[in-house]
Amino acid sequence: MALMFQSDVVQYVCTCGQLKPISLMYFCRHCLKLRCGYCVCHEVDSHYCSNCLEILPSAEARLKKHRCQTCFDCPNCLNTLAVRATTVSVRDPDDPNKVNSLKKYYHSCFFCRWTTRDVGLPDQAVQTVSANGWSQKGESNIQRINVLLEYVRLLGMQERHEREQREKKFTPRSRRTFTHHPGLTAAHVRKRAGLPPELPAPSTIRDNLAEFQPAVAKEEVASLPESIFTEELDIDQVTTLTQRLAQPETQPESIVDLIPSCKHLCTKRSQRCRGCEHNVSKPDLNPSSIKFKIQHAASFHVPEVRLVSVQPLIGSKECEIVIVFSNPSQQPTTISFITLEEAEAEAQEHTEVTPDTSVPQGEAPPSLSSLTRSPPVMEEPRPVSIAVTGDVNLPTADVEIVLAPKDDAAEYDDSSDTQQFHDDPQIVVHRRANKASLRLTVIPHADKAGQNCTIGFGFRYTYINRISTPASASFEPQKVQLSSRTFLNCGKIKESQ
Amino acid sequence: MIKTFYEGGMGLTSEKQSVVFDFGVRFTKAGFAGEAAPRCIVRTEVRCSRSGQMRKVFDALNSDEQYDLLVDFIHNLYFRHLLVSPKDRRVVVVESVLCPTAIREMLAKVLFMHFEVSSLLFVPSHVVALSTLGVNTALVVDMGAVETVVIPVHEGVAVLHAWQAQPLAANAVESQIKEMLSEREKSKPSEGFANLTEANIEDIKVRACFVTTLQRTLKAEEGKPCPSPPSVKYLVGPDSHILNISGDIRENSFNVLFQQDADQISVSTMILDAIIKCPIDMRKPLAENILLIGGTSMAIGMGARIKEELEFLSASPQYSERLKIRSFQFHSPPAKGNYTAWLGGAIYGATDFVTIKSLSKEAYLRERKVPDWVSLIHNTYNAGTKRSV
Repeated sequence: MALMFQSDVVQYVCTCGQLKPISLMYFCRHCLKLRCGYCVCHEVDSHYCSNCLEILPSAEARLKKHRCQTCFDCPNCLNTLAVRATTVSVRDPDDPNKVNSLKKYYHSCFFCRWTTRDVGLPDQAVQTVSANGWSQKGESNIQRINVLLEYVRLLGMQERHEREQREKKFTPRSRRTFTHHPGLTAAHVRKRAGLPPELPAPSTIRDNLAEFQPAVAKEEVASLPESIFTEELDIDQVTTLTQRLAQPETQPESIVDLIPSCKHLCTKRSQRCRGCEHNVSKPDLNPSSIKFKIQHAASFHVPEVRLVSVQPLIGSKECEIVIVFSNPSQQPTTISFITLEEAEAEAQEHTEVTPDTSVPQGEAPPSLSSLTRSPPVMEEPRPVSIAVTGDVNLPTADVEIVLAPKDDAAEYDDSSDTQQFHDDPQIVVHRRANKASLRLTVIPHADKAGQNCTIGFGFRYTYINRISTPASASFEPQKVQLSSRTFLNCGKIKESQ
Repeated sequence: MIKTFYEGGMGLTSEKQSVVFDFGVRFTKAGFAGEAAPRCIVRTEVRCSRSGQMRKVFDALNSDEQYDLLVDFIHNLYFRHLLVSPKDRRVVVVESVLCPTAIREMLAKVLFMHFEVSSLLFVPSHVVALSTLGVNTALVVDMGAVETVVIPVHEGVAVLHAWQAQPLAANAVESQIKEMLSEREKSKPSEGFANLTEANIEDIKVRACFVTTLQRTLKAEEGKPCPSPPSVKYLVGPDSHILNISGDIRENSFNVLFQQDADQISVSTMILDAIIKCPIDMRKPLAENILLIGGTSMAIGMGARIKEELEFLSASPQYSERLKIRSFQFHSPPAKGNYTAWLGGAIYGATDFVTIKSLSKEAYLRERKVPDWVSLIHNTYNAGTKRSV
């Protein structure tokens, strides 16, 4: 799999204009377009802890500030802490001669040897300690911030009240028509009409605002301790910026004040095509599973190009390269070459047509119309940012190369192929199962000696669309002709003698 | 009819928390509105997918590259730190008043076009920092990575003609440390010096250096220096070369912020100049409500030194005639200096102001521009009848 490690040899042009190896791309089966990580919509599917692999529902994860309640990170080196057990002997309070042994747990970092005992945190009696087991410093701050929040919220209400007073005479009465519906409170109606919730009476707002006490500036500030000029500084006792910022709320300056922080959760993400909002990739919910519910990687649908061999590249001289096309689909596909310009024109044509075809007007079921799907927001495709440093002689567009369907069993079948293809031996060098090796001639640009020889070409391929649209009830696989652009990096160009 | 109510019912669930960003040159603060601290304070850096190098996000060479870096960086913030989908969620960005329009526009483009956020609100950092105090008038001194910016805020309005900005901040201190170390290197070469990286210098600044008192500096200037604090052994690089950080460096590196340069400008004169530029009846309330924010203001002894400097300078011939104020009072917000502005945005972002004042996605898609008070198109007397662009 040279492709995994040499991702810059063969690059495909995504619909958004980015150059990516095919292994990093998706193929939307509804829009029939290539998509990459840049031009799909990422969504958080589920939250889980990477240490204990527990899934948390989104609402719960939000409440817990996206942190696992049972796993902790070392505040010193930010690795995961492990729970260690010890036995301590405790003198029985009833019988002074008897000694009981108790199991106690503490947290220790296997990486940097930091333990909760280092900072004087007491050992815990239970194995799973909740985060509240440790004293939360900065409590007073939270109370003050809540007061401030309430104050600013009241200010906002006051402003809105004033604004509504001004606009009152223009308020249409039709807003009130919903109130006689059963089960609808005034708050619901306001929400329904897209209005913020009802305001309390202006006098209440004023009274509450009057209760607030703003902060008072003080003459005295935290002074520099005198001891700093005389005492030796043990720099290992001072926390680094990384350690401080791992606990943004407290930002302790001394190693002694570090407390373990709850581990951040990880997410499973799904990818959605921006054009049609269908998923191109959706992982399994279970965090220990690496499978996908939906996985439309481009390498399952689009013929893959690999570079096999290159003759020495000499400026303005013809040299041969051999590339392999392989067909990943279960149907035979036909490939023909086109120039980059033709392929680009085709791609543009395709983007202009799709908005109409993907959402047939008036065909959408009435139940969906009220959900008001906003038109897709998409960045404009960018021009491809790569300079071609070699010309390639492509076979003419009418030369069609048929690739056999992918057959997993054929991989292990050593017997020669029985299929007959009428190939031009000048072009097709070799065939095996779903692959065909082709010979192309490349003329590197003479003035680009010493640089990498980048060539580009487009190719058309046939694709069997097996998606049935809700509009057409009769399901029938459609054969469509798609095109793609690829850029190959063939290696360094040598000086011409 | 019932059905439409059910569909509307989705809107009845409590609205998603807005996301609050404070993009700094060196550190970015990100979290949710209504919370007491940001979820993360991370370096404003991202690994470039092409070269594999760490790139500072605001160091891009051209606008396309800037766009890509911002996309990658914000993607990381959402999916590695905030862990929520950006789509259809409100965003509040705490920005400096001096933020270039190009960056602002690009940020809006990235957030609306790439991340499809539902609305965006830019709030000025100096003004919202006051919501962490509940006061309306204060002199806000933001000491960041690149510059120190002083803006007086009176009754909730920034007094912009009195603003002061100078490159006297973390970068200046770090280059001073580097200079002092290389000076010393000439007389006493050490292995550690050759292996110093920028991160090491920052680390030395944070862990070993402090802001000394004015008396000691004055005495040193008179030629009668006090005994310097003990030196610190600092290990550099994987081979643990020892670099000796002298007491002189520990004590005096921050002095670069307070030494008046050829134009007689230092952090303290900036504060006094800002007060002087304000009308007379504003000066006293401003001097009695000074708020220090930004990461550099967290250095040990910074507040004390600024206070001493202000009292000393206001009585000195340089200012005594022009400014009759002799006492200065400081606020202590319920947050650390480096995220005070963020907290201001988070408090502000949890209120109705977000629904009233933000720029909605629809409005952005129509105009493809962020309204800005400096632009006459958006800031006319008659805001009701908007002129077409």
